[in-house]
Amino acid sequence: MTEQIIERPALPKRPFNPTSVWLSGWLALIWLIIFDLELSFETLLYGVQDIFEYFSRYSRPNFEDLSRYVELLGQTLATALWGSTLAIVVAVLLAPFAARNLSPNAVTYRIARELLNFMRAMPDLLLALIFVAALGLGPLPGALALGVHTAGFLGKFFAESLERVDNGIYEAVTATGASRIQLVMYAGWPSIQREALGYMLYIFDRNVRMAAVLGLVGAGGIGLALHDTLRMFNYDQSAALIVVILATILTIDYLSTWIRGKLN
Amino acid sequence: MSNSKLCWPTPNGRPGLVPTLSLLACILLLVISAPALELDLGRIVTAIPRMLAFAGNLLVLPDWEYLPILAKNILQTIEMTFLATSIALVISLPLGILAAKNTSPHPAVFHATRNLLSLMRALPELVWALVFVSAVGLGPLPGIMALSFVTVGFMGKFFAESIEVVDQRQVEGVVAQGASWLQLRTFAHFPQAFPDFVGTVMYVLDHNLRAAAILGLVGAGGIGYDLVMAMRMFDYDRLLPIALSIYIVVTLLDRASDHFRMRMI
Repeated sequence: MTEQIIERPALPKRPFNPTSVWLSGWLALIWLIIFDLELSFETLLYGVQDIFEYFSRYSRPNFEDLSRYVELLGQTLATALWGSTLAIVVAVLLAPFAARNLSPNAVTYRIARELLNFMRAMPDLLLALIFVAALGLGPLPGALALGVHTAGFLGKFFAESLERVDNGIYEAVTATGASRIQLVMYAGWPSIQREALGYMLYIFDRNVRMAAVLGLVGAGGIGLALHDTLRMFNYDQSAALIVVILATILTIDYLSTWIRGKLN
Repeated sequence: MSNSKLCWPTPNGRPGLVPTLSLLACILLLVISAPALELDLGRIVTAIPRMLAFAGNLLVLPDWEYLPILAKNILQTIEMTFLATSIALVISLPLGILAAKNTSPHPAVFHATRNLLSLMRALPELVWALVFVSAVGLGPLPGIMALSFVTVGFMGKFFAESIEVVDQRQVEGVVAQGASWLQLRTFAHFPQAFPDFVGTVMYVLDHNLRAAAILGLVGAGGIGYDLVMAMRMFDYDRLLPIALSIYIVVTLLDRASDHFRMRMI
């Protein structure tokens, strides 16, 4: 009897798991960056004690000037509110042109998209610097800068939402003989109102945070006071300012979460 | 029914009560806050010639000798962004697991982590950068620390939210294999939330790049310092290349992240 040898088909090769390659590439890149930036984490380690000592200077907030802080805070909130309003107005006007399915033609679509893109790409602090140079110090240039920068974000969000709307809704309204403006007014905006409100809240939230630091470039608000106190090493007052800013931002955070919960 | 051509899309053709009231409240708020803003139309109108003059000043040939330094500083900005995002990613993954309702070991831990994360993201990067610059000195290190600190707050929250919406049946399937606490999180929750994680990381990278571009304002490294100095010194031949390069880098990352997100989801 001859032994029968059964030839088994070879097992398929174990699939290659690329995770390790990605991970090692990532680590190598990080090492290169640390090397290139000449970061020395040793100083950080040796300096831990110094850092704790430094932070302990903030432990006695001094609220003597609270009334002035509240006034500055009001200015900051006003800046954020006006900036957001400007952004909403500009975005509402631009978004239909930047939505592929509502734009009258391909050229307007491209132009509107690039315009929004450009507004988004310019950091708001840079815009604030430019507006301060043109308009002088004060919260007004800050509001303008916030408005221009966030209009880019808001316009993009709106346009993307308008593109996601079910095409049937647009067709139904077009079938009644609606003009392009009517199409936007009766099919576009009503379909995305919830989303749009959510985006507006997000933008307002973000603008309050940014308005708090716009003072650094002379655009008014509480940021300038913080900058000055830090420069003068008045840690007690800086701590009080940080507490005031923190409390405001957390309050607005909770408020917007609450409103968003109501919307859904 | 009203016969007018343009009417509100409501049954009776009139605007609804709640939207009208909210709109009125908003307008009232705007009017009240106008004095605080020192709003003055005349000022804006008189500023237009100055804006035009400023724009005219920008139209000069760039300072060619400055371009290599510009490239170096832009590279530094990108490196800061990448490093800060990586550090934040490593820290916020475990925090995200602790801050998700369905993977947190205990409700107390869940609430504590959630509150910690919202405290971390409450203040903008620039405030932290100011503080860290005072603590560890000038350079990219305080910038990276500030960026990672704030980003952990954002990423941890986003991660937690995407972990909370995973499909419970797949988790039960892994439980039935006798998976331990950690194995459950690694093999049931993590793979499901992974596409969301990628989206979050891309968003945060984008956000950090924009933030890193201005951190130099307070001496925390990156291109921002050159930008402010060019503004202050009226070096218009440097200003335009700086602004242009920021625009290009931000746009490129924007496009890349759009492309990446489309592929992942």
